[in-house]
Amino acid sequence: MVVAYNIYIFDRHCECIFYTEWNRLNSPLATDAETDRGSKDLVRGNQVLTGDGGSSRSSVDGQRPLVWPTTATSTAHRVSAESPRNVAMEEEAKLVYGVVYSTRNIINKLNSKDSPQGGNPGGFMSFATNTYRLHYYEAPTGVKFVLNTDVGATSMQPVLEMIYRNIYVEYVVKNPLFRVDPKTSTPIENDYFRAVLNNYIREISSAAVPAS
Amino acid sequence: MAKQYKAAGEEAWKNNVEKVNAELFIFTYGSLVVQLMRDYEDCAAVNAQLDKMGYNIGVRLADDILARTSLERCADLHATAEAVAKVGFKMFLNVVPAVVGWSADSREFSLQLDDNPLNDFCELPPRAVQDGLWYSNVLCGVVRGALEMLHMQTEVWFVRDVLRGDDASEIRVRLVRMLDEEVPAGDD
Repeated sequence: MVVAYNIYIFDRHCECIFYTEWNRLNSPLATDAETDRGSKDLVRGNQVLTGDGGSSRSSVDGQRPLVWPTTATSTAHRVSAESPRNVAMEEEAKLVYGVVYSTRNIINKLNSKDSPQGGNPGGFMSFATNTYRLHYYEAPTGVKFVLNTDVGATSMQPVLEMIYRNIYVEYVVKNPLFRVDPKTSTPIENDYFRAVLNNYIREISSAAVPAS
Repeated sequence: MAKQYKAAGEEAWKNNVEKVNAELFIFTYGSLVVQLMRDYEDCAAVNAQLDKMGYNIGVRLADDILARTSLERCADLHATAEAVAKVGFKMFLNVVPAVVGWSADSREFSLQLDDNPLNDFCELPPRAVQDGLWYSNVLCGVVRGALEMLHMQTEVWFVRDVLRGDDASEIRVRLVRMLDEEVPAGDD
């Protein structure tokens, strides 16, 4: 049984275009939502619908996982200098990207397979610490998926591949409203994508994962 | 190597692709070109617009192909050309162009289409032929967009077209340069 903690999706421009979490203590998103607007009414855990952003969390049951970034808060599309940004989350995303980027490069170099085009020829798959295991998957087009799970998870490569092939490509790439720009990054704001991803992770978490 | 791409293309075509009615697709494309001609009235502008549309399609197509097949990164341009012809074209148009016309430095090649499905039922008026309309220019954009997502900057253009009286359609692809992966911005 695997416990998935959170997932980051980075696009080819090194920007985090999607982040969601399922079980996380001290999340930079939760504190952001609570101090949002300073109004206590909003911290019923239910309708936190702010007009210009904040973390997106709008559901009556309060069970929906928090998601980041939204176009209002993303660095690429900030509407004005005063729009709320979650700096803690941004920094965390940058740190995570830096870690996987550097690790992947070291592994590529050690395999003598590094190339300026990137990619993952060295086959960086995951690393583990005392408390969690980080899994990495990179598609040849430069999209990177980072999934953190409990230490006991063996290999989530098939899971990440599934997420790429059947969820990301189906609901994001094939969405004509999702702009693919050679210069800027667009955050993923797609309810179907979120719903399917959450369902899939829930299935994975409850099914017995065969030891590989 | 060519065999493996051929097999991958066939398999993808058979199993992994939902198919639409070819005639519906061809006629829709034809009416799209007609509409563009009416709007722009200038063949060069229509060509550019078709190329742009193709580019937008192509950037998404790259991920789509990778999702449906288990293709790995190609070692060189020869492998890329084979993959484009035998897998890409096969999967989406069910035709396999021949990869010919390699340049001496192996940075250019041609895709020769003996029968381009988009050309069925189509006849170009003499004015369009004169003014230089490339009817299937969207294909050039698609190839360019898809290769750009795979870190290859290319120039793709039509050389010959059956609709203009040539014996076969030929698309030339030239690798301008390999694009480097982006490096995260430093802290400033």
